[in-house]
Order: sequence, then structure tokens, then C-alpha cells
Amino acid sequence: MEALSVIQQALNGLTFGAQLFLVASGFTLIFGLMRISNLAHGGFYVVGAYVGMVTVGATHNFWLALVAGALAAAGVGVVVELGLLRRVRNKEMPEVLVTVGVLFVITDLIVAIFGGDGKTLNPATGGAPSGALVIGDFRYPAYGIFVIGVTVVIGVVLFLLQRYSRVGAIVRAGVDDREMAAAMGIDIDKVFTGVFALGALLAGVAGVIGAGRQSLTPYAGTEILLYGLVVVIIGGLGSIGGAAVGAVLLGLIDAFAKQYIPELSYFTIFAPMVLVLIVRPQGLFGRVSVA
Amino acid sequence: MSVAPASPRITRPAVVKAVVALAVIAFAFALPYVVSEYYVGVATLVLVSAILAASINLLAGDGGLVSLGHAGISMAAGYGIAWSVKEELPFGVQLLVSLGVTLVVSAVFGLATMRMRGVFYLMITVALGMICWGIAQKWSVVTGGDNGLSRNWPPEAIRPYWTYYFVVLAIFLLATLALWVISRSPFGLVLRGIRDSESRMRSLGYRIASYKFAAMMLSGLFAGLAGVLMVWRTGFINPKSGDFIASALPLIMVVLGGLGTALGPLVGAVIVVLISQVLSSYVDRWQTVLGLLFIASVILAPRGLVGGVRSLAARVGGRIGGRRPPAPETPATTE
Repeated sequence: MEALSVIQQALNGLTFGAQLFLVASGFTLIFGLMRISNLAHGGFYVVGAYVGMVTVGATHNFWLALVAGALAAAGVGVVVELGLLRRVRNKEMPEVLVTVGVLFVITDLIVAIFGGDGKTLNPATGGAPSGALVIGDFRYPAYGIFVIGVTVVIGVVLFLLQRYSRVGAIVRAGVDDREMAAAMGIDIDKVFTGVFALGALLAGVAGVIGAGRQSLTPYAGTEILLYGLVVVIIGGLGSIGGAAVGAVLLGLIDAFAKQYIPELSYFTIFAPMVLVLIVRPQGLFGRVSVA
Repeated sequence: MSVAPASPRITRPAVVKAVVALAVIAFAFALPYVVSEYYVGVATLVLVSAILAASINLLAGDGGLVSLGHAGISMAAGYGIAWSVKEELPFGVQLLVSLGVTLVVSAVFGLATMRMRGVFYLMITVALGMICWGIAQKWSVVTGGDNGLSRNWPPEAIRPYWTYYFVVLAIFLLATLALWVISRSPFGLVLRGIRDSESRMRSLGYRIASYKFAAMMLSGLFAGLAGVLMVWRTGFINPKSGDFIASALPLIMVVLGGLGTALGPLVGAVIVVLISQVLSSYVDRWQTVLGLLFIASVILAPRGLVGGVRSLAARVGGRIGGRRPPAPETPATTE
């Protein structure tokens, strides 16, 4: 029985890690190209989650909700990028501060529309995998497996896109040398907006999927963003691969800590972060110099 | 036609500054005799928030190190008091426990951030602040969890609301003076040097990391002071006093008021507290108002209210004075 419980916790960890990857990958994608520490990312997460919840309620179709939530978050992202961030481009601090302001406004408007109390999105009513996966004595919610599956697919697509597509090449060129890329005739402004939208889209997907597992409050995005930040700090800012490793690591640590030392569960995410910061300040896979 | 100031030592801006400062202090001392208990409470909150904002201003204004996790430190100091009260420790020990917790948490912040700058610094402080919040929530044996700890009052003598206001006012003035001295000391000068060009300061032989660590410890002491005063104000503390919003508000105050100015934290605290305490009784969506105001300020008035007023005054003064050269905008920085 002990072994089964360990496997169960490992799967819990992987599922949470998958959610973390969805949040962290969008964040790190934006950071990698634009050097913006986008704290509004948690806001995009809740926009996706609430739009997804409303869509499931109205259409009883989870897949539609996933698309609607993702597009809504991307839409808000584009508005923020074009309307606000473009005005403070290349000014490191003002960019971050603007995203803090955006997070305030989004969170508050969500409270205004939906109230501050917890809501639930039941993926089963919308045709998402539900019930339990049963192998002998072993049971695990199918939705968790689904979350892991979706995330792996998204991760692989992101990797292939970045590595082999023309768009990926342009983005990598922008990451390496923004000015040179612009000089080569790449419309870097468009690339920025596109990447920002993609990052926000990923946050929206994370929101809808996350709302299917955890209770949804207007502050859910900010909470998961903490884990997302730790993931990217451990993995290395701007690195998708680092985000994947960091997410799995943190997901597993969190799951086992919650099971065996629940009182200290926050110390356990804190310890690896400080350790990495001392030994390797740029993160496990980070290329950017931090100082 | 106006005449240039007779004495070269007492410049007009200095006189204006002194008059403004004296007027503000006089107003602050007169306040409890004029307004109701509720507004004295609001004013106390303004002053306590301004101390926390000023602690960020020390790092961000002089050192260019923007912390978005300072509520984690002030909350830890507050829990130091609250836990000691729960354990029925004597008053002096309560203060020592709180000081100890503040130093430990500040040291952790300092060690984790001393090799960082810019957005990296900011992001790590966000993460640290939220970890403090998470620990406060989960470690319920010590912190009381979400319910928090209540009845943490200051000593009987300073408990009445107006006495407490005067105590906080005195501490605020002392803290502001201390920060002003620090900012103008050789230490503050080195911090500004690091802000303007880290590589230059390093090649001049300064140990950048040590200075950043020391700056965080100093700033943490003021944040801890604010945390203790915050707990005594209401007698209550819960994890909300260290959540992301609690860390963002003092930074918003500093930026709204004017980064790196002595008066900025107070001006920002007045604006933010008025919006969050007074406007909120008329408008439910005060956070939206604050967020929009903040975004507008960052985009349109990057130097905050005090900075904006100062440059406006310089421009107007230059026009009226005629012969007086306009005050320099910002010292020219060359890389």
C-alpha cells in the first residue's frame, strides 16, 4: 500500500507540475524575448479561468471553454501590450510597474463581476475526461492524467515551434539580439505583440485547466504565479526547458511535502529556490546574466 | 523684474522646502484636535504605511533595488509581536523577539538578492514575500493560520487612539530623519553609485554585494518597525498583511509620491490610504481606481507627484525669476 501512495503522490506532483509549466512557460517566453517581468500573468490566468467557467456553464462544452478562455486571455494580453506596455518600451522598471497596475485592475474587476468567493468549474459536465483511472488497487483521477497529457503536447509543440519553425527562428533572433533582428528587417514590434499574446494565451489555458482542479478565486492567479516565479527562477529565466524541469521538480516537492510535512509546505519550495540562487544565480538553464 | 536671492546660501527652494516641511509637521500635530477618532486612525495608518514605503524608498530610490516583497518583512515583525503576546512574554522580550525575526527574515532577503539587480531583484523579492505569506498561512501553530492572532495591544500608556497617533508621528519623524541622514551619508552615496553604474563602483573597489546586503538589512529594520506599529494599531494580524497586495501598496505609494524623494513616501501614503480607506466607502472598486491611477502615473509622470511638482516649480520659478537658470532635470548619467 505504501508504494501505491508514493505513486499517487508522484502523479499529484506531476499534475501540479504540469499546471506550473503552463503558467511558467508563458511567463518565461515573454521574459526571454521582451525582458518584461510580467506580473499581470496571474491576471491573464484568472481571465482565462473565469471565461472558461462561464463558457462551460453556458455551453456544457469543456473544449469550447478551453478555446474561449485561451483567446480571452490572449485578447487582454494584446490590449495590455499595445495600449500600455508599448508606451514604456525598454524601460525596465516602468514595464514591471505597469503590469502590477494591470494585475490590480483585472483582479478587482473579476471580484466586481464574479464576487470574491470560490467558484468551481466542473470539467466533467463539459465532456472532459472524468472519473478515475483504475489499475488493480490503484486509482487516480482521469482529469489529472489529462492535464499531464495536454501539457506534454503543448510543451512539445512549443519546443518544435521555437526550434524548427520560421517564427521560432525570428523569436530566437529577437532574444539573442533585438537590434540586429530589427536591422535585418524583422518587425520586432509585431514579434513582441505576438509573443506577448502567446504568453497570455498559455496563461489562459493554464487558468481553464487549473480551474478544473482547484477552487477558483480572483486571487488564484496571483497564488499560482508565486509558484510560477519560483519555477522560472530555479529553471532559469527565459528558458522553456528550464521551466519544464523546474515545474516538475517543484510539483513533486510540493506534493510530497504536503503529504508528509504539511506544516512546512512553503519552506520546501523556498529552500530549493534559495539554494539555486546561491549556487547558480542565473538558474539551472539560464543564459542571461543576472548582475 | 525680480531680484535674485541676496544670499547665495539660503536658496529659494530650500526656504520653500523648510516652510512646506514645517507646515506639514504643524498640521500633523494639530490633527487630533480637529478631526474625529476615525480620521485620526486613518492618519495613523498613513504614517505607518509611509514608514514602510520609506523603507522601500531607501532601497529603490538610492540603490535602484526595487523590492516588491517588503510586506513579508513587516508581517514577520508583526508576527514576532503577536506570537510573543500569545506566549505571554513580557513587553521587552516581545520587542526582542520581533527584532530577531525581522533581522533573520531581512538577512534571508538580503542573502537571496545581494547579487541581483533590476527585474531579477524585483522578482526574487516578489517570490520571497509570497513565501512569507504562505508560511504565515500554513504554519498555524505559530501564526494562527488564516484566523490570525488578535488582541496584540501596545502598552497601556500609549493605547488610547490619540496617544498612539502622537507616538507614531514621533517615530515617523525620527525614521524620516534617520533615512534622510542615511541617504546623505557616504553609505547612501555608494548606494547611488551602485544604482548609476555597478561596474564602475566595482572597479573602484566597492564590494557591491555587501552594500546591497547592508541596504536590505537597514531597509528591513524600518519595514519591521512599520510592521510592529501596524499590529499595535488594530491589535490584529493575519496573513493578509503580507500578501502580494500588501507588498505592492507601499511600492505604489513610493512610485506615486516620487521615487527617491524624502517626502514621496508620505505623499504616496496619503493618496493610497485616502483611496483605500476613504474613497472605498463611496466606491466599491477602489482597487481599480488605484490601479488605473498607478498605470497613468507610471506612464505619464514617471517621477511621481513630488518629482513632478518639483520640476514644475523649477520651470515656473525659472520663468518668473527670469535670470535664474532652470534647475537641472536629473543629473546627467553617462555610462
